[in-house]
Amino acid sequence: MSKILVVDDEEHIRLLYSEELKEAGYEVITAESGYKLLEKIEEEKPDLVVLDIKMVDYNGLDILQDIRNQFYDLPVILSTAYDTFKEDMKSIAADFYVVKSFDLTELKKKIAMALETRLPD
Amino acid sequence: MAFYEENPGQIAEADIVVGIPTANEAGNIAGTAARVDKGLSEYFPDLRCAIIDCDNHSTDGTREAFFSAPGKASKLYISTEPGVGGKGRNIGNFFEKARQLNPKALVVLEADIKNLSPVWVRNLVAPVLKGAGFVCPLYERHKYEAFLSNSIVYPLFRCLYGRRVRQCNNGDYGFSPKLLDLYLNPPFRSELVDNSGIDLWMANIALASRLPIVQAIMGAPKLHRARGRFAELPVLFAEAVGTVFDLVEVYEDYWPQVKWSKPTALSGTDLQEVETPLPPADVNPERLHEKFLEDFDKYYRLWEHVYGSIVARKLQEIRSIGFQHFSFPTQTWMTILFDSVVAYREMSPSEKKDLVDGLLPLYVGKVLSYIKKTWRMSLQQAEEYIENECMMFEENKSYIVKMWTKGERG
Repeated sequence: MSKILVVDDEEHIRLLYSEELKEAGYEVITAESGYKLLEKIEEEKPDLVVLDIKMVDYNGLDILQDIRNQFYDLPVILSTAYDTFKEDMKSIAADFYVVKSFDLTELKKKIAMALETRLPD
Repeated sequence: MAFYEENPGQIAEADIVVGIPTANEAGNIAGTAARVDKGLSEYFPDLRCAIIDCDNHSTDGTREAFFSAPGKASKLYISTEPGVGGKGRNIGNFFEKARQLNPKALVVLEADIKNLSPVWVRNLVAPVLKGAGFVCPLYERHKYEAFLSNSIVYPLFRCLYGRRVRQCNNGDYGFSPKLLDLYLNPPFRSELVDNSGIDLWMANIALASRLPIVQAIMGAPKLHRARGRFAELPVLFAEAVGTVFDLVEVYEDYWPQVKWSKPTALSGTDLQEVETPLPPADVNPERLHEKFLEDFDKYYRLWEHVYGSIVARKLQEIRSIGFQHFSFPTQTWMTILFDSVVAYREMSPSEKKDLVDGLLPLYVGKVLSYIKKTWRMSLQQAEEYIENECMMFEENKSYIVKMWTKGERG
């Protein structure tokens, strides 16, 4: 079972994503901020991270750089309310992005694709 | 490869080695070498640095201009034999000389970059010192620059090798000694690689190496001598596309296993000010349309033979549309590229040349279609358009895998 880490400062989003993704067959863990996130990733070893871009104390795009630098191949899906973040070049380090919605069809599709991505050793 | 060498400082070792390939660059080399030196001394003051001018036996005083450049880094000059040209040969000599210096990081930069910033040197070197295998710059580009990259290289590399490296064919790279060893013992080299095919050859080997890749944000456009204008386009196109197609066969055990694609890490994300690139002066949609029509009859039979009757009919349809509503569907372009890659493998050298020559007018048509579709788009929207095209290539990868495997059986 693939383990997904959902990072979002809004509790209802964490709950929604957790419930729906668990129903879809994933193991889900959550974090409410970028605080000690790299340590959490190191410890929990998720297969994929769903990362909110705009959190109260953290910029998701900066966290994305840190993740990419330390966990080079770990898939990261950016989750955002607005797609203006694409103006920031840092966003290209994400595997995919989704616009936040109560319908998680797109998110589930992107998660499946990201987990399927394969580069030979 | 044998090369002539001048090493006035008798340098035997260096931590960072920067190679600048030249061929009659007396007007540019001193400025470029001085700016590289500034970047090295500013950002890596404690490391031993060397700059190597890898020359094509220039007769315009390139060597003298290079040695006259101010700076602290050691300077070495190496050159091909008189009369032996080709950027790839210069870089090949650079690989050999650089290996003798036992470096920790290597960089290749073009000689004619007019706005080379010292921080660019940092952005290309620093990731290698931290463990990256290959660093490819991300220059600010206008939506109507780098058509070859937008239409062929990026979609194909991304789909085949699974890495989203946006500007693979720009000639400036940072790389590790591990990758240098792969370049020195390459699975393939050719006459095309000895010339301008070297840039894509380096990038392609890096992409298939599985070494960590970083894209370096440069924060500005690269201002240099324009290349790829109509007069020189056929040669540059043939060398670039031929190199990419040749390497598809070399890596035939690798790319069919790749599924979807992955982003890379970034460096240079601290650059705050980003310059907006100016539009290139020579974008002329009417001329592109003329060029597409001009060669249509010349290559139609070849297209019919290689791509089959369905694609050939589609091409006739595209021709009949006329300039105002001209459109070259991505699906058709993708099929043409995939079929070209597969057909190329079984061809004789002269047939390969004909195939690539025949692909040029279709590429021109695809470029025109892109220009028309993105005319009112912002740079970001145009980038999204290209990203969507790349997704189509990835979604249809099973087609090329199937055709390739079928070809093996047949």
